[in-house]
Amino acid sequence: MGKYWKVITCIALVVFTTMLVIGCGSNTAKNASTEGKKSEKVNLTLWHYYDGALQQKTMEELAQKFNASQDKITVKMEYAPRAELLKQLTIGLVADKLPDIVILDNPDTPSFAAMGILADVTDKVNAPEIKKDAYYPGPLKSNLYNNKYYGVPLGSNDIALYYNEDMFKAAGITAPPQTWDELQVAAKKLSKDGVYGFAMCDLKNEEGTFQFLPWLISSGGNYDKLDSAESIKAFQFLTTLVNDGSLSKESINWTQADVEKQFATGKAAMMINGPWNVAPVKADAPNLKFSVVKIPKDKVWASCLGGENFSIIKGHHEAEAWEFVKFALSEGNLSAMLDLMGYIPSRKDLAESNQKLKNDPIMSVFVDEMQYAMPRGPHAKWPEYSEAIYTALQESLTSQKTPEQAARDAQVKAEKILKGN
Amino acid sequence: MQNYIDVFNNPTMMTSIWNTLLFTIGSISIQFVIGFALALFFNLDFTLAKPMRGLLVVAWMIPMTVIALLSKFMLSPSGGIINELLLNLHLIDQPIGWLINNSTALWGVILANSWVGIPFNMILLTTGLSNISKSLYEAAEVDGASSLQKFVYITLPQLRPAILSVVILGFIYTFKVFDLVFVATGGGPVNATELMSTFAYKLSFAQFLFSKGATVANVLFIILFIVSLGYLKLIRKDEVIH
Repeated sequence: MGKYWKVITCIALVVFTTMLVIGCGSNTAKNASTEGKKSEKVNLTLWHYYDGALQQKTMEELAQKFNASQDKITVKMEYAPRAELLKQLTIGLVADKLPDIVILDNPDTPSFAAMGILADVTDKVNAPEIKKDAYYPGPLKSNLYNNKYYGVPLGSNDIALYYNEDMFKAAGITAPPQTWDELQVAAKKLSKDGVYGFAMCDLKNEEGTFQFLPWLISSGGNYDKLDSAESIKAFQFLTTLVNDGSLSKESINWTQADVEKQFATGKAAMMINGPWNVAPVKADAPNLKFSVVKIPKDKVWASCLGGENFSIIKGHHEAEAWEFVKFALSEGNLSAMLDLMGYIPSRKDLAESNQKLKNDPIMSVFVDEMQYAMPRGPHAKWPEYSEAIYTALQESLTSQKTPEQAARDAQVKAEKILKGN
Repeated sequence: MQNYIDVFNNPTMMTSIWNTLLFTIGSISIQFVIGFALALFFNLDFTLAKPMRGLLVVAWMIPMTVIALLSKFMLSPSGGIINELLLNLHLIDQPIGWLINNSTALWGVILANSWVGIPFNMILLTTGLSNISKSLYEAAEVDGASSLQKFVYITLPQLRPAILSVVILGFIYTFKVFDLVFVATGGGPVNATELMSTFAYKLSFAQFLFSKGATVANVLFIILFIVSLGYLKLIRKDEVIH
């Protein structure tokens, strides 16, 4: 026994020391990058959470292009996973270790503005070169906090309905569903032998809320009136899909990436997902024939707005940071960048004039959905709102509460949040 | 102070405390009983005892995140190995959605956590067992004691310090488990597996309510602090006896 312990202790020691060394290494590297060399050049750091290899490469190239275009400012890209980035930002506020520019998910922008991290860029956004009026209203509005702009949209996306053409053919369904009733019938018909007709993400976090909002809006409901008959109908409808066996109960534990896997492996005939998952589906299942249509509607068409905003950190190199943002937003750079990243330009003129998007039968649907895509909030307390919504959705889907009860409880929570408690 | 009142008025707080206790007690009992049984088993000197014991310890070395993902697949109702096994044994006729039903989700994560904890219990208890002098058993055999009597009157009292440390260290490890639950269920479905640690994380970093997140973390700390104090006291008592 003694021998084993010695070996185990040795291994543990080695692992531990390596971790220590590695820990030190990255720390010193970070210090160097944020403080920078004491030259005349201004060094800026940008934090982003794009985890796709292509997306990261695109960001790197943007930085290189900008650094080469002038000789006063150097921008350095730093990647962190989304949860980590948000954590570092909030901790950084206390420890004063913040980047100069940050790319945030659109509902997070007002929250961080409320925390006082972000610089007010209202005057800069109103400058004619930004062409504020050319933007879709949703993305632009997501930067508002107390009627001031704390960021500019980088790119947008939304969600739509993917469907498996072969499965539709096999089940004898000729046209993709356009209304909730058609969706319910089709999903039931397609569900058999371990295949679910419909898949979406009902996860217990922002992703769940993101995927649920289109249903809420489509039935005429709204997130500030969760207990209205229309809002309840949305909870009710999705719960019916679960009870029909058309939507897997596991959807409450699926991320949007998991949903993509279900669809790509043929375990789901339809799914709700965004344009960023077109490439993964094609990579995972090269032979799968699929198409995309707008999310079926009840009363009105609806989708949910996703995408990121550029924000500048207050009190750092605000002017230099804005130079970079302006460079990134200039038409040529922006279009090229978003094309590569699978995003839709937040500017209507760029989105609609983009030939590549227009001629692509799939991407054009997502562009079309943009006009119905509603922003989440914008509200500084959106994350708390979101919690009320996804909790109610889970309560309803797991039949822990009736849809009415879940919706009513969520409304009570929402009112508390509004009262500032 | 207002934060404490707010937090304790939040129904999720009570659920999370209750879940944490249930999770801890459930995990520890399963871990301890199986760990103890295995320790006794491997203490019998048979050829493969040592390598097999070594293999079992591997489970303890796997990162929690990996275990969480593994258990998510294994417990899945569509093709998860646990359900397939139970179906083939005709113990159940419908796959159980371990992690997606409110009533079973906590048990799902308890099972996963116990699996990790068993080797830890086993190793500590094995060292305890190997410290018991053989002469005690020999003397008992001369007096004609049965194996049950040997176990109750020799093994258990002699193992007391080891058992104490295993249970209390197990309590401390389990009470603050975060990654396993966070990855496997994220505290869901609804709040069925929300622990104090995941709740604190959610408040601070998903809803940006730091003061409230810190409050929950404080409560967690206070409970652990009390338990650790108790542990130190018990250990000191034991040292005096020796």
